[in-house]
Amino acid sequence: MQHSADATVMPGARFVDPKILARIGNLELLARTVVDGFINGLHRAPYFGASIDFAEHRGYVAGDDIRRVDWRLFARTDRFYVKQYEADTNTNFSLLLDISKSMSFGSKGLTKLEYASYLGACLAYLAQRQRDRVGIITFDSEEVAYVPPSAKHFNVLLHTLDRARAGRRGDLIKPLAKMAEHFKRRSILVLISDFYEDPDAILEAVKPLHFQGNELIVFHVLDPAELDFGFEDASSFEDLESGEQIPVVPQSFASEYRKLIQDHIGALTTKFSEHRIDYKLVNTAEPLDRALVSYLGARERLMRVR
Amino acid sequence: MSFLAPLFLVASAAIGIPIFVHLIQRERKRVIQFPSLMFVQRIPYQSVRRRRIRHWALLMMRCAALLMIVAAFARPFLKQEAAAAAVIGGTREIVVLLDHSASMGYGDHWDRAKDAARTAIRSLGTSDKATLVLFSRNAEETMRATTDKGRLEATVNAAKVDADSTRYGPALKLAESILSRSSARRREAVVISDFQRAGWTGSEDVHFPEGYVVNAVSVATPDANNISVPSVTFARAEFSGQERVTVSAGIANKGNAPVADVPVTLEMEGHQVQTQHVKVGANAAASVTFTQFTLDRPIVKGTVRAGTDPLPADNVFHFTVSPAAPVSVLVIESGNRAESSLYLTKALAISTSPPFQTEVMPVTRVTPNNFEKRSLIILNDAAFPPAAANGALKKFVERGGGLLVAAGEHTTWPQGETELLPGTLGATVDRTAGRGATLGFLDHSHFVFEIFKAPRSGDFSAAQIYRYRTVTTTAADRVLARFDDGAVAAAERKVGQGRVIVWASALDDSYSDLPRRPVYLPLVHQLVKYLAQFEPSRSWQTVGQVVDVTSLTKARANWVVVTPSGKRVTQNGPLELDEQGVYDVRPAGGAVEGTPAQAIAVNIDPAEADLTPIDPAELVAAVTGHAAPVAAPSPAENPAFDVKEAEKLQAIWWYLLLAGLLLLAAETVVSNRLSQGERFL
Repeated sequence: MQHSADATVMPGARFVDPKILARIGNLELLARTVVDGFINGLHRAPYFGASIDFAEHRGYVAGDDIRRVDWRLFARTDRFYVKQYEADTNTNFSLLLDISKSMSFGSKGLTKLEYASYLGACLAYLAQRQRDRVGIITFDSEEVAYVPPSAKHFNVLLHTLDRARAGRRGDLIKPLAKMAEHFKRRSILVLISDFYEDPDAILEAVKPLHFQGNELIVFHVLDPAELDFGFEDASSFEDLESGEQIPVVPQSFASEYRKLIQDHIGALTTKFSEHRIDYKLVNTAEPLDRALVSYLGARERLMRVR
Repeated sequence: MSFLAPLFLVASAAIGIPIFVHLIQRERKRVIQFPSLMFVQRIPYQSVRRRRIRHWALLMMRCAALLMIVAAFARPFLKQEAAAAAVIGGTREIVVLLDHSASMGYGDHWDRAKDAARTAIRSLGTSDKATLVLFSRNAEETMRATTDKGRLEATVNAAKVDADSTRYGPALKLAESILSRSSARRREAVVISDFQRAGWTGSEDVHFPEGYVVNAVSVATPDANNISVPSVTFARAEFSGQERVTVSAGIANKGNAPVADVPVTLEMEGHQVQTQHVKVGANAAASVTFTQFTLDRPIVKGTVRAGTDPLPADNVFHFTVSPAAPVSVLVIESGNRAESSLYLTKALAISTSPPFQTEVMPVTRVTPNNFEKRSLIILNDAAFPPAAANGALKKFVERGGGLLVAAGEHTTWPQGETELLPGTLGATVDRTAGRGATLGFLDHSHFVFEIFKAPRSGDFSAAQIYRYRTVTTTAADRVLARFDDGAVAAAERKVGQGRVIVWASALDDSYSDLPRRPVYLPLVHQLVKYLAQFEPSRSWQTVGQVVDVTSLTKARANWVVVTPSGKRVTQNGPLELDEQGVYDVRPAGGAVEGTPAQAIAVNIDPAEADLTPIDPAELVAAVTGHAAPVAAPSPAENPAFDVKEAEKLQAIWWYLLLAGLLLLAAETVVSNRLSQGERFL
């Protein structure tokens, strides 16, 4: 992956790679749920509006615009009915980025945090392009930075991504519970983390976000080394966050480890889908555009089904 | 082989260190940082490589080196145990506690005790030290810690049985303090005694620290028979103006067999007066009453002897008898009322110990001469005597006389004599209208009311006082009793050497019904005895008691005391009575007019006659906390050891230490060489 944007022009611009955007440019990140916006956009609003999608009829009451009266129905029923249409609106898009110490791990040069930043920036770009308001929250064991969603905050978002440094221990439950207070309006929330927690605990942590009518999309970022445990020599493994060291002989560990991590991923997949939360595992060895395309494509397909 | 410091062997556990290093160290050489060990931790820890030790020789070298160093510190030595004692400075410090109380005079007890002491002394090694402590009621460090067996034995040979009682507490405490000062490794106390039960109450706070050995050597005779004279009593009678005394002696048999026909003899002034025979049952007592004799001199010395047995000391009882000295009391009354002192004089007449010599006089007839040779003056509802004015009465009191003021309607007190009266007399309070006053508070700590302290020992509340004079006391006065309304009923003031008590009511029946109450008689007797400063003379003392010769003779002259053993001591103060018999106390420089010679009869403690022994193991257990006395190894097995030889025997540790260090050096070389060709992680 190349840094095509000039960092001197705008900090964080490197995260928005034109090549990637060129490939995903024809995709949209649409809210699957009804969202609440101010202006006409791509998402469905909870109100009736002026779109071309017919919603229902209702009885005429004094004051209704006569132009809305369905005259054909009047002809058939001899009663006045007014046609109502779906309203399309814009929404809030918030990126929730885990910047705990474990996110600084990268076995192939690119750390998980960098990968997550690229991912987040691309999604924010998409949102901003479809006139959604974009914001970002970075957190480790507590909230580190909070940029409230705004149509003008895309640059601030990129700047925040640029400044994010993974340095402290992470925790999901506490910061996420606190974050939930920020989202009074229904939003699209994109949570990017490596999820080193018990699946049940993770689900408990994200519930406050999800229950407020927000659309939650979860990206699970993992390094290939974390997935296949390709170490060979017996070594002391040090936990990046706790500093704890454990002597490990990888040959005897690897298979069991792989099983455990796959079980973990499986558990997360199941639990998130049970709660109608989009969950996507992202391997940092995978090109970002492929990951995005596969996710947004699948999402679009599902939208049509629905 | 054995070790001098075996505790160091615990350090041999350190051989685990090289094994631990072999197993652990290599695994820590490379550290890989990993995002989270969440899953790694769940995998049971297992390592094949760590279980494998590749350089057994190296490990063995390290272990051997450590073991050698540990063994060197534990200081091994080669020889039997006796040698060990010598090597570790096995000197003994023993304290020989030799009982020389009166009871040790029984049969051959004393000889056997001395033999036991000599045996203990002879058992000492050349570097062992011993202290000889002779004890009875007190303990004395007769020979301080010494290695000189000859002097110790000579001291034992010279020791004699004394007349004192037995107490183990002081002796054991002294032994404990001597041993605690010692630096010897083995500390031992040898108690040689007849272990009389009377000498150990169990409440002695004696505890020997752990490691001290107490050996008890008992010389007690089982089922010892012993007859003793524990006391005598006197019955006094007046006949033709002379005092006649009847002596009764108690005879106790402490044996398990009855004794018949025990001759009991009374001796007066060295002359045998009478002999009677008595039968005394097993563990019983009997009494013998001798014929009356007339007391014709100021002091008569007497002795009662009963039978013969292995302990002669308690078969003799010495005593002295003196004619009872009457207390002279002058009762001054108002003269206005007949028989106003009737109750008082009748009460004073009923006493033999001491007899009161009472003279009643109306206040107008009193002259200063009447105060002479009086012990007490009672102003019984009388005005202040004119003859007592100008300090005459005050002088009498200051010299040691007593004054009792029974304040009634006639009592007056001049302003110039207020120093003499406890407080100030006020108006008469009339309580005839009601039930009358009672005595509400009595100072039972005062001698006068002390005898009424016990329950049912005098009911003052029954007495009704209809009238009394108010008394306002000062801080210098002691209030002895108060009426139920809080007014002072009796107060005391000390003037010079004398004492003054004011009784706020009259002592006849004009002011109260107290004279008709049972408490009246003891109250009057107590008041008179206290104010006259009466001290009963003692017919005998017990060995160990201390008497003040000056107070005994009531004269400040120097006195010569002739002890029962014939020793003459010039004494003018406390005298410790440490011999059995009669002490003669005479004025130094010949007889002095008015100060007759005195005699003090001294007997052994009656408890010494009870030879019932305590189990020595019980005493040892109480002192050491061990159930049984700790057997000390026979000193014969503990020969004196040549220091050089001892050092030689334990020199192994040097070689072990050297070998251990050499091995460690070799290990360094080997491990360096091995590690060069090794590819560790």
